[in-house]
Amino acid sequence: MSASFVHAMRRKAVRLTVNAVIAVFALLPILWGFLSSLKPTDKIVEFPPRFLPEHPTLEHYTRIFADNAAYFIANSVAVSAAAVLLTLALGALAGYAIARFRFAGRDTLMVSTVAIMSIPIASLLVPTFTLLSWAGLADTRLGLVLLYAAYQLPVVVWMLYGYFLSLPVEIENAARVDGCSPTRTLFKVVLPLSKPALVAAGLFVLVFAWNDFVVAVTMTSSETARTFPVAIYFYLGFYGREWGPLLAASIVSIVPIVAIFVLLQRHFVSGLTGGGVKG
Amino acid sequence: MSAVRFSGVSKNYGPVVALAGLDLDVAEGEFLSLLGPSGSGKSTTLGLLAGLIDADGGKIEIAGRDVTALPPEKRDLAMVFQNYALYPHLTVAENIAFPLEARKPKPDAAEIAKKVEAVAQSLGIGPLLARYPREISGGQQQRVALGRAMVRDPKVFLLDEPLSNLDARLRIRMRRDLKALHAQLGSTIVYVTHDQSEAMTLSSRIAIFNHGKLQQVAPPAEIYDRPANAFVANFVGDREMNFLDGKLTTQGGAPGFVFAGGVVPLIASAAAVAGNGALRLGIRAEAIEPTRDGGALRGSVILAELAGPDLFLTVRLGDGAEIVARADPRAFTAREGEAVSLALDPARIHLFDAETGIARHHGAA
Repeated sequence: MSASFVHAMRRKAVRLTVNAVIAVFALLPILWGFLSSLKPTDKIVEFPPRFLPEHPTLEHYTRIFADNAAYFIANSVAVSAAAVLLTLALGALAGYAIARFRFAGRDTLMVSTVAIMSIPIASLLVPTFTLLSWAGLADTRLGLVLLYAAYQLPVVVWMLYGYFLSLPVEIENAARVDGCSPTRTLFKVVLPLSKPALVAAGLFVLVFAWNDFVVAVTMTSSETARTFPVAIYFYLGFYGREWGPLLAASIVSIVPIVAIFVLLQRHFVSGLTGGGVKG
Repeated sequence: MSAVRFSGVSKNYGPVVALAGLDLDVAEGEFLSLLGPSGSGKSTTLGLLAGLIDADGGKIEIAGRDVTALPPEKRDLAMVFQNYALYPHLTVAENIAFPLEARKPKPDAAEIAKKVEAVAQSLGIGPLLARYPREISGGQQQRVALGRAMVRDPKVFLLDEPLSNLDARLRIRMRRDLKALHAQLGSTIVYVTHDQSEAMTLSSRIAIFNHGKLQQVAPPAEIYDRPANAFVANFVGDREMNFLDGKLTTQGGAPGFVFAGGVVPLIASAAAVAGNGALRLGIRAEAIEPTRDGGALRGSVILAELAGPDLFLTVRLGDGAEIVARADPRAFTAREGEAVSLALDPARIHLFDAETGIARHHGAA
């Protein structure tokens, strides 16, 4: 065995260990949460703690669905999906305009878009609540959709703008000469080529909207407009912490987002423009 | 009616003049090349014609219609881009069909399929229709780009250095194909290139640009034999033209051209036309015959290049000027360092104004 081989193996071992530590660190709480969600209530907080449940039970899962979890999940799905679609639609139009058209105030627009990204959401809660109430949209799902889109639009514009700039402009010129208006060029050529960026930006908005608690808890009060993260919080109610349903609900809330990431993974792969232009 | 007419068209980028007051007519069915070095305004001219660049002034007409303010999609042109600009997310068939799909009213699917098929057959890319651009070779991509242009049967074809990304052999084959295509379609083609041999072999006429200004428009033979100025003379031809700065003189009653390295005999008509100021003599390598002695000029060979049937000798004259002469290697050879004599064919000498570069006298072809 040569020295370089030993060296390579050692490096591999080190890398593996480091990755394993990180993985355990990140995943252990989730695993613990999952296992605990399967324990009966009195066993969750027993001391000394036991890692594996002795008698696994689904009682907490039954409980949260009895508590109308399906409705809150549906709310979250609807609000998140609408926020993603609205943000992508507006972001694509704005990003394309800034990337490809010369107009007065273009630079100012871009700079202010970036500047807006640095405003913390917490500082916007009170003014936006006032605004929503004034517009009659407080405590509605539509209000949440509009807010999520507004919060995430700058970063989405920025992401898509950067991607559009990286596309070879000749392809768009070709489309124009081939008879497409600027709008048709955007929809027939630019957006199909921008799938990786649209997926990335869409996931960005989705994660924000799906996980958001602060905005939703501030802007909604009724059960009608309640989203799942807010519903989860109610298990930390006035009468003590209900660990079982809390953990079960948390696990349920993780599943869809992980599934979507896995499903869309292949779209992250760029190189979609390969072969279009030469040189 | 001209297929294309530019009247006083100009374009500036800030302080940079990209195109200054262009007047140019392209006749119906003509193959016109826009030739020039990079930054000369030829690509700007094509962009203006396509509508991809907005003119600062002047008027552009296509088939008699003023298109100056029209966007590209309303000009009914087809364009082939230097890097092909195929749609990467569409198959070859979809790429070719794209301009038809964008048309209003849209032709029905069967008609589109028929046209795509016909174009693909004529370009020999029929078997590739289901492939994506990334799955075919550069030469094939080039054909797809051509097909996408041909399928629309446009008023004018615009070709922007379409061959520059191909290797040398393929380029010459495509050149031949393009010429055949032009003959077959009979359409008007405006072709941008920086390659003078491409322009010479393909064009009905060549428009030569430099520094944003049109220098000359003429058929290839005229451009080569009767260049309007020293720039044109130098830019066309496989080798640069030889230039000598001097003025007219008479030697024993015969007209001649005197410069720091000696005196060159001229024909009477050259002496009569050219006037009295500072002049620049221009002569191509093939009009200079290297001999052992007997020529008007003497010098030593500093570079001998054998290019198949031709031997090109770079000769340094007494005053330091360098001149390239062509010899038939079967009749005459010389090596670096050897002294040779150069006989300049007086009938094929051009004279240019030394200051403006404008031609004052043209030699025979």
